[in-house]
Amino acid sequence: MVIEVEGIYKSFGDTRAVNGISFEVRKGEIFGMIGPNGAGKTTTIECIEGLKKPDSGRISVLGLDPWKDRKKLYNKIGVQLQETSYPDNLKVNEICKLFSSFYSNPVPYEELLKKFDLYEKKNAYISKMSGGQKQKLAIILALIARPEIVFLDELTTGLDPHARRSMWGLVRELKNEGMTVYMTTHYMQEAEFLCDRLAIVDKGQIIAMDTMENIFSKYAGDEVISFNAQMSDADVEEIKKISCVNNAEIKNDEITVYAQGTNCVSEIVMFLQNKSIGYKNLRTRSANLEDIFLKLTGRNISFEEEQK
Amino acid sequence: MNIKSVNQMISVEGKLSLRNFMGIFFSLFFPSLMLILFGGIYGNEPNEMFNNHGVLDVSLPAYSVIIICVTGIMNLPLAMANYRERKVLKRFMATPVSPSLILFSQVVVNFLLSIAGMIILAAVGKLAYDLKFLGDFWPVAFAFVLSTFASFSMGFVIASVAPNMKSATAIANILYYPMLFLTGATVPLETMPDTMKKIADFLPMTHAVKLLKGVWLGENLGDYMTQIYVLAATLIVGIIISVFTFRWE
Repeated sequence: MVIEVEGIYKSFGDTRAVNGISFEVRKGEIFGMIGPNGAGKTTTIECIEGLKKPDSGRISVLGLDPWKDRKKLYNKIGVQLQETSYPDNLKVNEICKLFSSFYSNPVPYEELLKKFDLYEKKNAYISKMSGGQKQKLAIILALIARPEIVFLDELTTGLDPHARRSMWGLVRELKNEGMTVYMTTHYMQEAEFLCDRLAIVDKGQIIAMDTMENIFSKYAGDEVISFNAQMSDADVEEIKKISCVNNAEIKNDEITVYAQGTNCVSEIVMFLQNKSIGYKNLRTRSANLEDIFLKLTGRNISFEEEQK
Repeated sequence: MNIKSVNQMISVEGKLSLRNFMGIFFSLFFPSLMLILFGGIYGNEPNEMFNNHGVLDVSLPAYSVIIICVTGIMNLPLAMANYRERKVLKRFMATPVSPSLILFSQVVVNFLLSIAGMIILAAVGKLAYDLKFLGDFWPVAFAFVLSTFASFSMGFVIASVAPNMKSATAIANILYYPMLFLTGATVPLETMPDTMKKIADFLPMTHAVKLLKGVWLGENLGDYMTQIYVLAATLIVGIIISVFTFRWE
């Protein structure tokens, strides 16, 4: 175990940001924490990074107490903070040189710039870089420390889909080089793609945590069946009673059914025929993390993002 | 903390300062331009109002306060507030060096900038109007350093109490302009009516103007103990307030 977290709590005024979180991170894995904004992901990661002191609970990172031994710890971990920017009027190589001076055995930054495709930008002002390039620079600055664990807090938030994809490749690369990666995200797709193990957090608590495989088999069921039809709420309640159905919901004329087990599509079709309900556009897909979040909380994670 | 980090940080802050046009213009060149401008308008004939010194003789040391107001009340707090707002300070916290290194470097760079501004101002005075320096070096150096750090101390208070960049800019401007016009830094105190003089005495930088003017023209430090006490008190109170209220994020 490279990170051990035992029952941490953290409040800001009346708001309880972290409400009793415990977990462990294993050496060499990509561990992810996912949840909506305000779920407590950033507070948790900052407690582990030694930037915030939990009100209670115990944290150990590489055998160190991140709050008391923080300066020692920062020689062993690399940190990318959510929404940090660097001074605009500084050039890429200048900030790299500065960060190199902080460590006794830094990775030569020119090597990192080459690897991350930023070498030709080394004399460019930070202000002239794209969002994706700035995030790459944030990773480079985290890696200069020669870290054993890399912390990435919402690395890809605000990036376009293409830049996001290329970041995913870089994160995989870190794992291949033997580093442990602790990341937070609110993109379900990102967690599905990257994480070996995942903790789903909501309202300051972990509501599910396991390997990706187990999370799917435990919570998602097998498939999501949807179709368009004119149905009353009572009809939907009856669908829920079908044995293979985990849950069902209706939005306008679109019905979504979360199903588990075999032959569920035909059971639903049979139900609709018996009731003489006309349906169209019947489709099925495998369940994804958004379905799991919905199932666990009754709320839609992407819907909440849109509301913000 | 190693010496390599200190050097790098000072060099980075120095480069950032040199790339900040407004900061450089107002600390290095604006006071000299004022001197040239007012020299052109008024000349430097001895005047009874200024104890038989010329208006430029008394203006030069006063203008030095413009420099330290820019470096202390504008440059310093705005850089700090900007670093805090953009979480740069927080990012430095997550490194093996202390984030106070960045504050230290800011002080060093702005101090060097103040000295450079003072040298340029004195050189322009000498070259353009052949102004005479009537004081001794050490009293002037002492007065300049004390005034500069009193101004920096006010800057740190601004950086500490302002919740964000916007309010830091607002507070800095609210303090900067009265310091510019009411302290005698630009408009000689001697030309002000008594009421204004009394108001001016509440501004710490008025005492910097009086002190610097006095020692620059060859008077003794001992004649300016009130000024020295006020500036020292400003420095100490500012530091105390900052230590207790400064937030890294």
